[in-house]
Amino acid sequence: MTLLLKQIFAFFKLLNSDTGTNQLAAGLALGLILGFSPMLSLQVLVAFVILFFFRVQIGAAFIAAFFFKFTAFLLDPVCDLIGRAVLEAEGLRPVFVSLYNMPLVPLTRFNNSIVMGSGLIGFLLAIPAFFVFKALIVKYRMTVVARFRDTKIWKAWTATSFYKWYAAYDRLYG
Amino acid sequence: MSTKTPQDTAAKTPKAPKKKGPIRWEALIPFALVVGLTWAYFFFLFDSHLRWALETGGYQVLGAEVNVGKVETSFWKASLRIQNLRCTDPEKPEFNMIEIGDIRFGMLWDALLRAKVVVNEMAVEGIKIGTPRPRPGRVKPPDPVPADAPGEPSALEKEANKLKQQAIDKTQAEYSDNVLGDIAAMLSGTSGEDQLKNIEGTLLSKQQMADFQKNLEEKNRAWQERLKTLPKPAEVQALQDRLNKIKTSDFKTPQELADSVKQFEEVFKEADAKAKSVQAAGNDLNGDLKAFETGLRDIEAQIRKDVASLEARFRLPKLDAKAISRSLFKQYMDPYLAKLNRFRSVVQKYAPPNAVKKGSKEPDVAMQPRPRTKGVSYEFGRPNSYPLFWAKKISVSSKAGSEPGAGDIAGQITDLTTHQVLIGRPTVAKFTGSFPNDGIQDILAQLSLDNTKEASVVAFDFNVGAYPVNGREVVNSPDVKLAFASAVGSLQSKGRLVGLKELDFKLANRIQQVKYDVAAANETVQEILKGVFDGIPTVTVDADVAGTLPEMAVEVQSNLGFEIQKGFEAQIKRKIDEAKAKIQAYVNEQIGAEKAKIDAELAKLKNQGEAEVKKVQAQLEAQKNQAQAKVDQAKKDFENQTQTALKKEEEKAKAGVQKEAEKAAEDLKKKLGW
Repeated sequence: MTLLLKQIFAFFKLLNSDTGTNQLAAGLALGLILGFSPMLSLQVLVAFVILFFFRVQIGAAFIAAFFFKFTAFLLDPVCDLIGRAVLEAEGLRPVFVSLYNMPLVPLTRFNNSIVMGSGLIGFLLAIPAFFVFKALIVKYRMTVVARFRDTKIWKAWTATSFYKWYAAYDRLYG
Repeated sequence: MSTKTPQDTAAKTPKAPKKKGPIRWEALIPFALVVGLTWAYFFFLFDSHLRWALETGGYQVLGAEVNVGKVETSFWKASLRIQNLRCTDPEKPEFNMIEIGDIRFGMLWDALLRAKVVVNEMAVEGIKIGTPRPRPGRVKPPDPVPADAPGEPSALEKEANKLKQQAIDKTQAEYSDNVLGDIAAMLSGTSGEDQLKNIEGTLLSKQQMADFQKNLEEKNRAWQERLKTLPKPAEVQALQDRLNKIKTSDFKTPQELADSVKQFEEVFKEADAKAKSVQAAGNDLNGDLKAFETGLRDIEAQIRKDVASLEARFRLPKLDAKAISRSLFKQYMDPYLAKLNRFRSVVQKYAPPNAVKKGSKEPDVAMQPRPRTKGVSYEFGRPNSYPLFWAKKISVSSKAGSEPGAGDIAGQITDLTTHQVLIGRPTVAKFTGSFPNDGIQDILAQLSLDNTKEASVVAFDFNVGAYPVNGREVVNSPDVKLAFASAVGSLQSKGRLVGLKELDFKLANRIQQVKYDVAAANETVQEILKGVFDGIPTVTVDADVAGTLPEMAVEVQSNLGFEIQKGFEAQIKRKIDEAKAKIQAYVNEQIGAEKAKIDAELAKLKNQGEAEVKKVQAQLEAQKNQAQAKVDQAKKDFENQTQTALKKEEEKAKAGVQKEAEKAAEDLKKKLGW
């Protein structure tokens, strides 16, 4: 839990800094995939491996996964319809038969209509979502963060010795 | 003054943070930690959690406590071993339904990587049946009653109805399934025909007749009023008079004829309208009479039902062998049928869906929808691929030892799977064995579950060479008690269940070396029963169960039925007939007079109404015919008259022309000087 909270705090810190735009956007996009995937499936395991071993913002991924899980839940009927349409498509049947009988692939649970529908939506949205998130982060930093830093309250706060002490600590150990 | 060397400057300048690459190398240690923790969980805790899951799941499925002694799993071997599995008998929680010493099997990694479970061979050993438990097992309470939908009876009402139905069932069971008790009661003279006087006013037919009579009286009054509105003889006579006054001959002009015809038509229309109203009244009368006749038939049917109900109420036994057999062994069979129903409901709830695509006759191997709570999971199988679960062979072996309940069992189950179409073979089980410590010998059980066609077919044979029947109650009523004190039974059964619904089951049960335990309150009955049963060392019970579960027709035949019929026939038959006659007489007395009154009233209404209507109808029809005849006659007369006048004019004209011609001829002769 502490690790999780630390990652979430790190997300907000990074969001309000000037760096790590790609890490944040990638984390959010990966969170979208996580949110649209069932918890016990191969794709979630792969997503976690990516989160773990690649420099993707984990907190962003978790926050995005949390919110997109609700979206996926609301979209279940739509995902079910899409999944059924895809899984019942005659032309794709041989592909699915092969995939279903391959090692590892069935662990994705692609043969379930909701998993297939939500998986398709998640994977298709992930790439454009990366660029959209990136643009939104830049915009956020230019408008909200910059304006906030110009406020007297912020300036007064940064002038306090406590803040200086915290900034020094953060620079050294954060 | 000190001077700074370049080295000093370099040492004091803060180093720029090293740029981190895309790979998070520092995650290696946490990752190793996670892997280590996972391994530790599976090594130290997983087995106990799986044991808990098996116990909880088993409790939910079987509805009674399930205990598992030990569970061992191996990740690398993909194996599972369950030891000392004990399933509580939900009907007798202080005993186990089954106890299995050891179950062990290994799964194929090749299948597990494809998210399937395939077991090459499973071993099941140390089977014991009906062993006592150290403490009674928990039994699952019935599922809660769902919330009431609008318009449906409330939970309280449902419960009340259930209790009411239970009471009715109990009463019916008392009345219908206790033939020996009923016979004893009849012979003792305690049968209920003496109570006939106490049930006055409870006959449904009597109430029905009262309602019918009230209705009949009301209708009768209405008809009397309506008959009064029918045309009177004076009105018919008035029409006749008007008709007579109309001129029917010697018409001077066509206008006169037209006037007469108009008058005739008016009289005709009036007569026709009256005839139609009479016709409508006749039709209504017929309708009412028909309704009354139907009502009367219903009353007669109700009287028959009342007589039958009274016969059941006063427990008049049916003295035929078939009924006696059915009555005697119904309660003997009921627990088995209840068990069968229970297992059917468990199988229906947890068995995989039928291996057939909806709407198609032939099973589709390639694709199978499997409905779940969320979405639909499709199985894209192909011939010779792995189904979701497949235990190729389960070997069962058990050695009896000295403990009661333990058996020598050998057998195997082949191709237990979720998808028989993929492997193309049905599940087949065959067991042989005996439980020597419990005196059960030569068990042969064969089961085949074929789910490869549209409707699943379960076929089973179950034979037992010998089993003890000690102290088994057949009848237990206040008047008579009958039990098999000691006996040896053997049974052969064969059944077929199609679509988990249509059951056809045959049972041949032979109970030999029987020592009966007979006790009757009445001495005569005791003597007869002893005499009857002493001469029957072997009892046969043949049952034939067929129908759609849970509603099944159960036919039970036994030599006991014939023997009891023979033994009691002389004493009891006369008494039964007398009692029946008394009931019939009572019913006749209660409702006979009222029924006769109704019959008379109905006949009166029928005769009077029909006669009245017919009479008026005949008069009006005669008037109509007469009017029509007169019109026709008038028309004919006028035509004749016209024809005569025309002829006269023609002759006159002819004579005039001839005269003119002759005169012209004379004038011409004169001119010519002839």
